[in-house]
Amino acid sequence: MKEILERINQQFNCSAHEHQPENLSWVQLDKKQLVPLLSYLKHTENFSHFVLLTAVDWIENNEFQLNYLLTNHELHQDIAIRVMIPRDEPEMITAHHLWQQIATYQREINEMYGINFPNSPRVNESFLLEGWEGIPPMRREFDTKKYSEETFFPRPRQEGKDPQTHMKQKLYPDEE
Amino acid sequence: MSLKHIIKPFSAWSNVFRDPVTVKDPLNDRPGAARYRGFHQNDIESCIGCGACSTICENEAISLVPVDGIETKEGDSGLRPLVDYGRCCWCALCVDVCSTESLKLSNHYTWVGEDPEAFKFIPGVDKMPWDEEELGWKRPEDNYELNNFKRISMLELTPEARDKSFIEIVKGYSKQEAQEEADRCIECGLCISTCPAHMGIPEYIAAIREDDINEGFKKLYETNPLPEICGRICTHKCETVCAMGHRGDPLSIRWLKRYIADQIESDDYKKVLELDSIENKDQKVAIIGSGPAGLSAAYYLRKLGYQVKIFEALPEAGGMMRYGIPEYRLPYDQLDKDINLILNLGTEIQYNTRIGKDISMEELQKSYDAVFAATGLHDGRSTRIPGTDHEHVYMAADLLRDITSSKEIPVMEKVLVIGGGNVAMDITRSMARLQNQKFGRVQVIATALEGEEILPADREEIVEAREEQAVINPGWGPTEIVIEDGKLKGLLVQRCLSVFDENGGFAPKFDPEDTDFFPADMVIESIGQGANLSYIPQSVKDELEYTDRGRIKVDSHFQSSAKWLFFGGDIIEGPDVIHGIANGHKAAIGIDQFIQETQKK
Repeated sequence: MKEILERINQQFNCSAHEHQPENLSWVQLDKKQLVPLLSYLKHTENFSHFVLLTAVDWIENNEFQLNYLLTNHELHQDIAIRVMIPRDEPEMITAHHLWQQIATYQREINEMYGINFPNSPRVNESFLLEGWEGIPPMRREFDTKKYSEETFFPRPRQEGKDPQTHMKQKLYPDEE
Repeated sequence: MSLKHIIKPFSAWSNVFRDPVTVKDPLNDRPGAARYRGFHQNDIESCIGCGACSTICENEAISLVPVDGIETKEGDSGLRPLVDYGRCCWCALCVDVCSTESLKLSNHYTWVGEDPEAFKFIPGVDKMPWDEEELGWKRPEDNYELNNFKRISMLELTPEARDKSFIEIVKGYSKQEAQEEADRCIECGLCISTCPAHMGIPEYIAAIREDDINEGFKKLYETNPLPEICGRICTHKCETVCAMGHRGDPLSIRWLKRYIADQIESDDYKKVLELDSIENKDQKVAIIGSGPAGLSAAYYLRKLGYQVKIFEALPEAGGMMRYGIPEYRLPYDQLDKDINLILNLGTEIQYNTRIGKDISMEELQKSYDAVFAATGLHDGRSTRIPGTDHEHVYMAADLLRDITSSKEIPVMEKVLVIGGGNVAMDITRSMARLQNQKFGRVQVIATALEGEEILPADREEIVEAREEQAVINPGWGPTEIVIEDGKLKGLLVQRCLSVFDENGGFAPKFDPEDTDFFPADMVIESIGQGANLSYIPQSVKDELEYTDRGRIKVDSHFQSSAKWLFFGGDIIEGPDVIHGIANGHKAAIGIDQFIQETQKK
């Protein structure tokens, strides 16, 4: 695996490295380099299995993180590729021509995070959230509680006590 | 359409006689996976009702409620979490954040019922079929922890760097360290009721986290006008009930308090506390003694505008905080920082004035609207064993006072201390330093009735004394100070088997067969101090009432049966600084009420 990582680093000018747990390596690189790297890994280094594509919303840094995970079944090695894209320009180059199932992942991420993948098949069709309007629900600014209260039957919170106040009432009620 | 098309659908009827591939309803015996997140379990005994589960729950599914039979006591709010499954999403953050690991999820996930209200219950209290289930979600053991259980360590002088001088040992937190330590607090507030002054601990810790030091400082002064002092030498009982202490290190509450006070310059005190102008009242209050109780009462009375005058028998203010506690624990400049604010508010103080000798109680009663006596415990108690009348037998309190007063004190080659409390450690470590200065080595032995495990001194005091080469040899009862030809030779002791009886009463038992001899040139007794109340004239004493233990009886505002006279501090409660501060505060409130009521009449 070390040699593979060295070859990647040379060709793509990045710093791929091994990581915990065993058999998992990480590489982070620019948006534009992603498709060439996926293609290289699939066709040259035999990472033939595309496992998953996920996203993380780093609202603090104004960024989205995309993670692509590939497996080489002969070497029993995984490689995770991380791409950071700006939050205010949520668009990524599609990779569905390499593995067609990527189109489904991209469609889901487009729905859940509002990250678009232009030219990906059916990318703008609903995936799970038929008729969804407003902020995509996996974005961190989405207020789950507010949404639930507005959408579903409200169930008021069970009344409870605050430990501090309760202890004062019980143990030293007369003290100021 | 042919006949075939009509008959074909009926061929499906042949399936009626085949075994179904689906599972029968109702669902029997389909257990969740081993780590499935199902309904809650809670170990009611180890739960302390800190409310971390309720705070972290984004769905507001958990509320803390009182439970019959679970008592509210120190370190336990008496509340227990109630879970509403109409709101729960089984994320299990409540389990992961639980400070005692009492809360878990079983792998039971089916429950059918028609009443939505039935889906609210108190795990562990309301009996459920899954209560004893072993399987389910528990916080993973490795590398996964929402809380930080490790205390940010404090920079302290090494034993070699400190054992020859009286410079302060503890360096104090930096901003980053303080914020990291403050970040560990889960704001449950269980500590507040344990603190005698009920300080707003979570609030001032939050102020550190948010770097709003002025706000934190104001918070401190709401309940404690001696934060530099308490931030150094408080007995910090609060830390013994800290929720983080159940699975790791309790918050370093004392050092965090010190951090806040350390950040504010003396000159800014009045401005930050918004005390630049106080509306004065005409009524006058006399305070006897400038220890923690007296100073605390002075601060709160002055804040209310009363004319306050403190009478202090010694040349400087602070009482035992100055004349008892050594400088390496509480430097004088820090002590003065707290005291100066109280004096700068217009509190008058008259030094070298002993009530009952220089001024009589009757005079105070005549000239003041109320009197607060907080005279403390200064008279060392003696073991009264044979030999204690020798000239080289001393009282710890006297020696500590002389060290502060820069008087020359006798430092001999072999020193023996009788006592295992904090005062005993103070004199032991002070003598070790003085021996180091004089002889370049330490030869101090401290012995106490109590065994190692029950020594009354703070653990860190014992550890640090040993680091400074003092010998702590506990579990002995002194029997005789051996004197030959008028010269003190040492102390004979016998093994102490137990100190207290079943009821916790003081009743030491000894083994006279098991004896030892500690050679010494001087012996220092430090088995406790008593009050000297000789300043109270008989006429007033007759008016007072006493408790079963012989202490002066006071009400919750420290008012005695002589209504004009309030008592507080070590003579009533403690002995420690924080009780004194709390007493002084309550007495100030009581004095204010008393004076206001008297005015109305």
